[in-house]
Amino acid sequence: MDYKYIEQLLDRYWECHTTAEEEQILRSFFSQHDLPAHLAQYAPLFAFVKEEAEAHVSDNFDQRFSQLLAEDDSRQSARRTFARRLTLGRRVAPLLKAAAAVAILFTIGTATERAIVGSQTDEGATAPVLTDTYVRSADVEAVLQPTGRTTDATATVQKADSLAKAVLPFSENE
Amino acid sequence: MKELSFRNDVLPLKDRLFRLAMRITLVREDAEDMVQETLIRLWKSMQEGTQIDNLEAFALTVCRNLCLDYMARREQQNVAFDEELHDRPDATRSPYDDIVRSEQSARLNALINTLPEKQRTAMQLRDIEGRTYREIADIMQISESDVKVNIFRARRTVREHLQRKGT
Repeated sequence: MDYKYIEQLLDRYWECHTTAEEEQILRSFFSQHDLPAHLAQYAPLFAFVKEEAEAHVSDNFDQRFSQLLAEDDSRQSARRTFARRLTLGRRVAPLLKAAAAVAILFTIGTATERAIVGSQTDEGATAPVLTDTYVRSADVEAVLQPTGRTTDATATVQKADSLAKAVLPFSENE
Repeated sequence: MKELSFRNDVLPLKDRLFRLAMRITLVREDAEDMVQETLIRLWKSMQEGTQIDNLEAFALTVCRNLCLDYMARREQQNVAFDEELHDRPDATRSPYDDIVRSEQSARLNALINTLPEKQRTAMQLRDIEGRTYREIADIMQISESDVKVNIFRARRTVREHLQRKGT
């Protein structure tokens, strides 16, 4: 059998010119039995490397961190509860903020227009469309305010929900 | 931003840190102490909001530096310590580490542990941990060509040892 390829790889290996993949090829090759003598002498190195990769800490090592783990685990589970409630709000929020900004402009525009135009019935045709997208600016403010507490987050999500339904009739329910 | 957890993000690094610390300190208890110290420091950094691009590479860097500091202190305290280590019988299952090695592997292990720290660390990170030359350079805070020089020398020592024993 022609071992030329392996011999070339091996030469490159000693020169530190092999890639990680080529070194893997060498490791695989040398894990075989029945190697020719001139190559078998190098097998121990590749066996050694494989064995060494299995070295690990003592079984009771983690106990060194029992307090730290307990503290961190309880912090993590508190965060997860908080995060679950915010998921919908978090996903919808950027859309809401954009839509809310547009809605505010419409509100201002409508109010201005109604004040200027008065009760001309020709202008009433646009009113139904504006009513669909109209949101109370107080609701918009409440959603845009950052909240820190879990109870506020729940309230925020509820407001985000109602805003989403009002502003984004096509929004998907997660 | 993903919330990092000690259990899921930091603790899993323990074994590869241990292998590096073991290669440098050569004593299991010392190596585990170094790993413990590394993980705690890592966690503190993360809590303080330090930006870490590559957690694993950063951890290995911290670990190595802690080991080097420790080795310097240890050598100061006991000049004869190195001789003690080399005189230790070459058992296939040493009380200093856990894996059962073949006799050949035990001899290679002992040989590599006599190399200068940079050589054995570079070889450990490449051949056993499979890191790229760039990563090793970052971890060891030396140039890539320095990394290659150190690995070259380590592999050459191993090759000469294997050729001497061979047919």
